[in-house]
Amino acid sequence: MLIFGERINGMFTDIGEALRNKDPKPLQYWAVKQHEGGAHYLDVNSGPAIPTEERVAAYEWMVNVIQEVSDLPLVLDSTNYNAIEAGLKVCKRPAIINSCPAEQVKIERVFPMAIQYNAGIIGLTMDKQGIPKNSENRVAFAMELVAAADEYGLPMEDLFIDPLILPVNVAQEHAPEVLESLRQVKMLANPAPRTVLGLSNVSQKSPDRNLINRTYLAMAIASGLDAAIMDANDDDLVDVAATAQILLNKSIYADSYLKVFRSR
Amino acid sequence: MALTGLEIYKQLPKKNCGECGVPTCLAFAMALASGKASLDTCPYVTAAAREALDSASAPPIKAIKFGNESVIGDENVLFRHDKTFYHPTTLLIRVSDSLSDDELSLKLQEIKGLEFDRVGLHYSIDGVAVVHESGDAARFEKVAGIVAAGTEKSLLLLSSDPVALKAALVPLASRKPLIGEATEANYEAIVNLAKENSVPVIIKAEGLDALNDLVVKAQALDYKEFVLDPGSRTPVETLANLTHLRRLAIKKKFRPFGYPVIAYTSQTEPLDEIMEGSVYVSKYASAVVLNTSTKAHLLPLMTLRQNLYTDPQKPIQVEPILHSVGDVNENSPFYITTNFSLTYYSVEGEVETSKIPSYILPIDTDGTSVLTAYAAGKFEPEKIAEAMVACGIADKVKHRNVIIPGYVAVISGKLAELSGFKVIVGPRESSGILSFSKTLS
Repeated sequence: MLIFGERINGMFTDIGEALRNKDPKPLQYWAVKQHEGGAHYLDVNSGPAIPTEERVAAYEWMVNVIQEVSDLPLVLDSTNYNAIEAGLKVCKRPAIINSCPAEQVKIERVFPMAIQYNAGIIGLTMDKQGIPKNSENRVAFAMELVAAADEYGLPMEDLFIDPLILPVNVAQEHAPEVLESLRQVKMLANPAPRTVLGLSNVSQKSPDRNLINRTYLAMAIASGLDAAIMDANDDDLVDVAATAQILLNKSIYADSYLKVFRSR
Repeated sequence: MALTGLEIYKQLPKKNCGECGVPTCLAFAMALASGKASLDTCPYVTAAAREALDSASAPPIKAIKFGNESVIGDENVLFRHDKTFYHPTTLLIRVSDSLSDDELSLKLQEIKGLEFDRVGLHYSIDGVAVVHESGDAARFEKVAGIVAAGTEKSLLLLSSDPVALKAALVPLASRKPLIGEATEANYEAIVNLAKENSVPVIIKAEGLDALNDLVVKAQALDYKEFVLDPGSRTPVETLANLTHLRRLAIKKKFRPFGYPVIAYTSQTEPLDEIMEGSVYVSKYASAVVLNTSTKAHLLPLMTLRQNLYTDPQKPIQVEPILHSVGDVNENSPFYITTNFSLTYYSVEGEVETSKIPSYILPIDTDGTSVLTAYAAGKFEPEKIAEAMVACGIADKVKHRNVIIPGYVAVISGKLAELSGFKVIVGPRESSGILSFSKTLS
């Protein structure tokens, strides 16, 4: 189970301000802190804090300042593929592109870029029409992404299918469909593509967000989730990821398994 | 193993004509993978694609049967802890047709003696490989006949000369020997010979690429009872080839390599040869042909084979009979434990360390530990008392003391009543046996 730390995102006030002021400290603070929490990758998203025309330069700057303090690989999170490419150019370790929907035009832009920079891709099970309601259509989009990976020669393990979880308070019926999608995505290819969720989305604007997040994480991991973009500093949540790892026989049990999980 | 959507999609015509009732080939592939559609509804699928899709649902490695109940292949995993290895390596002893008749009869005598009884199990060698080295077809035929008459075991007839092979095979066809070897030069004649006689045949080529090509060509003769030989004769190359063949067959469902593999030892020093054989038995060889036929050389190899092919999900058990440690006498202490090997050997090791010759009786608890057995009602005083009578301990010692594990102290009263022995509650952990044993007598 891979944890993609979500905190370096311009939607958060401190990061947004840091991006506008070109102040590396908050980014570096969260890079280190998320690593300590148990993150394996750091998601990097400028959010709307930076005007579109400055995003290319901003991603290059963000990647550089984060790499000054952290060896963790990065997940470059943007809909602006030029900004992602600028980031990929300066990444020291193989990164992951977040994200590519199942649209031919975007596939043609993103997949060759991933091959060129030895990067992974988060593939979204949606197209221009938006997010499907049921698991059948989600899996159909996943299949298109799997076929694209095969066509472009992207190793299946480098494709992370995101079946797109929505907030449970307004889109409750999606939660079980996403679990079913996670199960079916594993049947699409051998080796199977990996799976990822933007976990915190499930609890948007609900009370007891942490409880919802960690309950859904356990359910999703049991359904085949390999990675989550999530709060790496929610200790209870990271404990759930570590415990699920043990209960699915993916890591060898030891009494100190919580500590072991964080130290890897 | 079900097919993945991607594997099916790659075999489809990619016309997106919609004639199957599904808008795209991709969607049709997914419908097939989830069992919602039938391949027959696609009018454009090729025969080759149909064949590929059919065979992909077959087991990854074909089971090949020959001789006297020898079954090779039919394996599913790379590591035994993932599930288990099913068909123990078939061990064959090599007999050259250039031996004199006297040497031959000595060799056959030796092979006959290769039967072992150890820790309650019987090991035996599986077969004899008659190898054509004399250059004389008539001699090969004669030696094959002598060997066949001299043993009930499975036979392998090995010659690259189709004429010699045919002469040797035809009178022995009812024994269903494995034959070989079909090479690039002679494969048509030899595969057809195998086909006519319904016997499995070894396909041999130098290296994996050549082996792949040859298997594909041999399959075109409409016969598929194959055993593979990647041609390598050094341990390093053979280990690599065995690993690639098993991995490709299972992980990639690579059909040309979906057959069992035979390996030949090359070391001339018997001890080296057994080391080499051990590697092949450990790493996926379905059959191994050995030179040595000495008991001392074969027992460790056969023990290794037996160990590797046990099912790791099933607990390993020791025989539930009275065991003795050291030079026991009528005063030796008498311990009770269970027949779970981990439990038994923990106790045995500690008793040994105490240097006091002792009796140990492992109760048959279906290979479960003391507390598991107790919780499941398999370690009860009635059963223990019965086992004590059955093992005849009362005639072997003059005392009437029995030592039980500390964790089941609660059974002591009932056991004493039923057995007439004085029940001594031992330590909870076997590691306490050493100091406990000093308090005895």
